[in-house]
Amino acid sequence: MRKDGYGHANKIIPLLKKLIFPVCVLVIYAVLFIFSPARASVAFRSSMGILLNIVVPLSLVFTLMIFMNLFLTPAHIVKFLGKGSGARGIVLSAAAGIISMGPIYAWYPLIKELRGKGATNSFIAVFLGNRAVKPFLLPIMISYFGGMYVVLLTLFTIAGSLAVGYLVNILVKD
Amino acid sequence: MKIFVSANGSTTEASVGQRFGLSPYFIIVNPQTMDFEAVPNSGADGKRAAGMQAVVLAISKEVDLVLTGYCSPTAMKYLTDNGIEVITGVKGTVSAAVAQYRNQIHPATIHSMVKPEGTGAVLIHAFKSTGKQFANLLPVFVGVILLMGLFNSFISKELLSSIFSGSTLLDTLWGAGFGSIFAGNPINSYVIGGELLVYGVSLFAVTAFIISWVTVGLVQLPAEIAALGKNFALVRNALSFITSIAIAILTVGTYNLIMGCGQ
Repeated sequence: MRKDGYGHANKIIPLLKKLIFPVCVLVIYAVLFIFSPARASVAFRSSMGILLNIVVPLSLVFTLMIFMNLFLTPAHIVKFLGKGSGARGIVLSAAAGIISMGPIYAWYPLIKELRGKGATNSFIAVFLGNRAVKPFLLPIMISYFGGMYVVLLTLFTIAGSLAVGYLVNILVKD
Repeated sequence: MKIFVSANGSTTEASVGQRFGLSPYFIIVNPQTMDFEAVPNSGADGKRAAGMQAVVLAISKEVDLVLTGYCSPTAMKYLTDNGIEVITGVKGTVSAAVAQYRNQIHPATIHSMVKPEGTGAVLIHAFKSTGKQFANLLPVFVGVILLMGLFNSFISKELLSSIFSGSTLLDTLWGAGFGSIFAGNPINSYVIGGELLVYGVSLFAVTAFIISWVTVGLVQLPAEIAALGKNFALVRNALSFITSIAIAILTVGTYNLIMGCGQ
């Protein structure tokens, strides 16, 4: 199989970008431990407290993600978003948004391609709005905010995304 | 049956493109009639996710087979997962390649539905993918948790209450504003939102923060404009900002009504 010399650079640069933020925070801690060790240890213990509270829901998240990976592939999402018209298209776009994972910028090239193949502006807006509904992150959300709140938020988020889709359709010409 | 061939030109006499995502054209051929459609490859410049654009095109054209020189393992996986057979190592003209396939001569390698066999293998595969996704979100997540520790030890309730005054509308507006600036995995917004609640910031503000974190993206606005157009991106983000406030007010208002605590 062909190998082009860019493979390593392609992997290392995004990894470095991801590490910038945590490394900056660690530098702040290091400086703090030198100048104000008492405060730094309070901050660190507080972080560990947050982590401890989140360990159980986080392992549930991991389990849910395994299930999503077992049954859904990006190809499913592409199929959902590109197809259907009217109410069916909207339901499929909302479903695609809900099951989509990963950062949004990874989706732009795909969405661009799907445009004009049945994915109208309102479908794309509905898709982007429904990305706020994250089934596999529900355990964390419930542990922080409670079940009733999460149910209401999910329902209103879906309704809100439909409203945005409807208005985008009126305000932006395809 | 439809055959999707990466090509260096717009006719069946063009040579087969050796890089699937970067070939200038895709020729979609009916092998029985040799009727064909030539589609220019918008990802041929290789700027962004060229392979994925080609995959999406193949899926949306409902083709059965891809003939190409070389195809990346990722593109291959998406194609085969979707029931599209892939043959790599194909050379010569498009028409010759299709004729070879029609005559059942396969000098090249055939890749079809490579699904792991057995429940155990499928589970291990899903476990590995999840591990990778998790490892991807971990650095920023750990950073956020450490930052929240600093926040807890340095930011006082008084300081926060000077921003979040207790006025529902104003607090919600602030929440939506902060959420619009930040971006990333929503899990981070839940942790930050949860800690803000402990500090007495209203649930209205926290809800608007969580929603706008995902639906409004000031940081990604240039990328959204480039991909989907200025009008669409600006209108969608503005509407999503307003909607995040409405969603927060409706959600928390209803929640308070149901829980009987009022506001």
